[in-house]
Amino acid sequence: MKNFRRGTAIIAVSALAGMALAACGQSKDDDNKDAGGSNLVVGTTDKVVSIDPAGSYDNGSLTVQTQVYQYLLNFPAGSTTLTPDAASKCDFEQPTEYVCTIKPGLKFANGHALTASDVAFSFKRIVKINDPNGPASLLGNMKSVEAKDDKTVVFTLNSPNDQTFGQVLVTSAGPIVDEETYPADKVLDDDAAVKAQGFSGPYTIGKYTKGQIAEFKANADYDGAYNKPKTKTITLSTYADANNLKLDVQNGKIDVAWRSLTPTDIASLGKDDKVKVHKGAGGELRYIVFNMKTMPGDNDDQKLAIRKAMASSLDRDELSTQVYKGTYTPAYSAVPQGQVGATEPFKDKYGDKPDKAAAKKFLDDAGVKTPVTLKLQYNTDHYGSSSTEEYNMVKRQLEDTGLFKVDLQSTEYVTYSKERVKDAYPMFQLGWFPDFPDADNYVTPFFAPNNFLQSHYNFSDKDNPVPEMTKLLKSEATDGDKTSRVATLKQIQDLVADQVPILPLLTGAQIAVAGKDVKGVEETLDPAFKFRFTSLSK
Amino acid sequence: MTAEVLAPLEPTPAQPSRRRRGPLSPLARYMLVRVALIIPMLWVLVTMVFLLMRVIGDPVTAAQGGRLNAEQIAERKHAAGLDRPMLTQYWEYITGLLHGDFGTTLTDHREISGILTHYGAATLELSFWALLVAFAVGVPLGRLAARYRDRLPDVILRLFAILIYAAPVFFVGLLLKLAFTPFGWPSSGRSSTQTELILDNVHPHTNIMIVDALLWGDPKIILEVLQYAVLPAVALGLLTGGVFLRLVRINLLQTLRMDYVTAARARGVSERRVVRKHAFRNALVPVVTVMGMQIALLLAGAVLTETTFEWKGIGYELTQYLKARDFLAVQGIVTAIAVIVCVASLVIDAIVALVDPRVRF
Repeated sequence: MKNFRRGTAIIAVSALAGMALAACGQSKDDDNKDAGGSNLVVGTTDKVVSIDPAGSYDNGSLTVQTQVYQYLLNFPAGSTTLTPDAASKCDFEQPTEYVCTIKPGLKFANGHALTASDVAFSFKRIVKINDPNGPASLLGNMKSVEAKDDKTVVFTLNSPNDQTFGQVLVTSAGPIVDEETYPADKVLDDDAAVKAQGFSGPYTIGKYTKGQIAEFKANADYDGAYNKPKTKTITLSTYADANNLKLDVQNGKIDVAWRSLTPTDIASLGKDDKVKVHKGAGGELRYIVFNMKTMPGDNDDQKLAIRKAMASSLDRDELSTQVYKGTYTPAYSAVPQGQVGATEPFKDKYGDKPDKAAAKKFLDDAGVKTPVTLKLQYNTDHYGSSSTEEYNMVKRQLEDTGLFKVDLQSTEYVTYSKERVKDAYPMFQLGWFPDFPDADNYVTPFFAPNNFLQSHYNFSDKDNPVPEMTKLLKSEATDGDKTSRVATLKQIQDLVADQVPILPLLTGAQIAVAGKDVKGVEETLDPAFKFRFTSLSK
Repeated sequence: MTAEVLAPLEPTPAQPSRRRRGPLSPLARYMLVRVALIIPMLWVLVTMVFLLMRVIGDPVTAAQGGRLNAEQIAERKHAAGLDRPMLTQYWEYITGLLHGDFGTTLTDHREISGILTHYGAATLELSFWALLVAFAVGVPLGRLAARYRDRLPDVILRLFAILIYAAPVFFVGLLLKLAFTPFGWPSSGRSSTQTELILDNVHPHTNIMIVDALLWGDPKIILEVLQYAVLPAVALGLLTGGVFLRLVRINLLQTLRMDYVTAARARGVSERRVVRKHAFRNALVPVVTVMGMQIALLLAGAVLTETTFEWKGIGYELTQYLKARDFLAVQGIVTAIAVIVCVASLVIDAIVALVDPRVRF
């Protein structure tokens, strides 16, 4: 006790001195540039679930996997054409046999050779492990995979002539891992994956702390579809809060902010001289799904009329500019613009501005009494922080016509995802981020029998079947002729606009914010949805 | 009057003798009782956490409900042992804790004990800086408030103490960020990315940034680490500083009313000397007592502060797992925090018992 006062004084002085010292010692990050060999820092709010492809199917993990793994085929920056990566070629040899030939001389960063056996092992283990966070569902059409010899891999498919299978090889299910270091029956944890160095992509991982930081070092032995890395070392820093990500890119603490800034932050950064907002082709789709059984309307005709009247009552431009500050753009089809074969049938049929007269006519012709009460459900925590604002605006737009009364309800995602497939919601919000850049990925999962929507639209032969849609989908998925496939895709989109099983609202642009001295950002913001560090430089 | 020689009194069988105190000192007895009390308290805490995590539903459905069908969920529950009777799960959980096993996270299969070790260091560091700020703010200002009792400085300081205690820590944090980031002051993380990578090379790597920076020995890096700690430490430290301010003030005022202080004044000792020499030290004893309770407040505040400032400690990780609805991870981390608070309280009790004999039995 004798020295307590002195101790207190020392503590107080130390704290204040520390702060003062820190204030005096302010140094720009530039002072430390290159000290750790880091030339470029990318920040993100996406969490990396797992470096091991068998244990992840999310954007955060995909960003890491894109840099460190090779795929059989890949999309080089700016291209949506399948290009050989670890394979020298891939093609159908039989209607149900997809064969890939592996490039000679490929090896992993740990020195092990990359052979056809590694490729077959990589796909087999994803299916075998079938992790809940993993991409096994993407390999639904893969019956089996075998290495014929060191150079040849044979995929046997369930459905013949699957034109999308090549695209599947570029998704989260496609990274090639080292069979000598990855277990066949369980997911390899991140630290072990880094230690194993079973990477053959353009970068390898140096220092790694899960959920915090990942250091990518250029792989000198890389021989693949991407260009050689322009930057030797790139560090990926993970953020919990988008506001911190915004502040750090603004202050130059990081060079690039990649996913997910809020629309307000992006708008504010757009006015900042120190940074540049880069926009690339969007792939995300936001839409309303109608439950064909439980939605309002006494019969199918009335239900269709209500759906069409809603399609005629919305102002997507207002949603885009007011809620999303242009980070999402109006969507007038199930297939977003930018995809091969995309059209805009909803604009042609229902217009791009609210048309109260047209909406009223749809309802009157079907004998629907107005105002129609709509129970519209949306989600608060899965489709971005602006969902509430978005759906309140949808409600206002619908009610402004005087034809609808909207009962807006929200539910958190876990409950939401369970309830929506139990016919609990007559109409509800959904979002979709494509697995690969092909129009098929926007139509088959939604409208084929036993589809993801679970809304009783073409659900089975007995449940509201739409044979015409099934036939068209089968045709486009197996059609090797591009011209006729595009024509079929147009027919599918027209049919969707006629039947309105979903109401497309918005499509999202890919956005990255970078310092003015950073090059190559726009180059990688293409419809392939791969953020390639190989393009980035300062 | 004849003086009688009084024989020493001998205890008669009818008169009970003074209770024997046994071989233990009062301090040892006090500590034994405290340790004995900690055990049921910890058990209640651990049990409550376990039951609360079950009340909100089964962890697998909560974390993976949107991804898996009923069959897959049942499979995962079986693999995690969550389909067994509650008592069996409880017994395994308790025995696991006794072996230092806090379980494994559901979403990314990490050992929770590993998370606690790695991220606990960061939280410990933030708590240290925050306590430093709390002392630096609370003690001198509390003394000042007592000195100007019921006058304008006292009123202002009391109001300040109430405000900073009542204001949510993340709100204070956001205000600090808004105020200082325009001047380039770092407001997220524990250091720049480059420094983080450099300090990763330090051996032994403690993950306490300032210790690692001191071990690295580069003054620039030490200054940078201090600079990064300022805003989160101030945000969290002010929360506790408000409590300290009011405690020091009230205890100092009480002490100044004591007889020995009145006697000192009567001897002509100056008021400044009375406060400094006689009252202040004794007024600080309750502050040390309350520090144990402040550990819990600090850790609770750390959850929000760490998220606000991207300070990657236990609180930050807890937030991430809460967002992911990984309730097994939350259960493990919350249990660990409860254990830390209990042990910290015990240590503080021991310190108080050492400096203040009145609290012993």
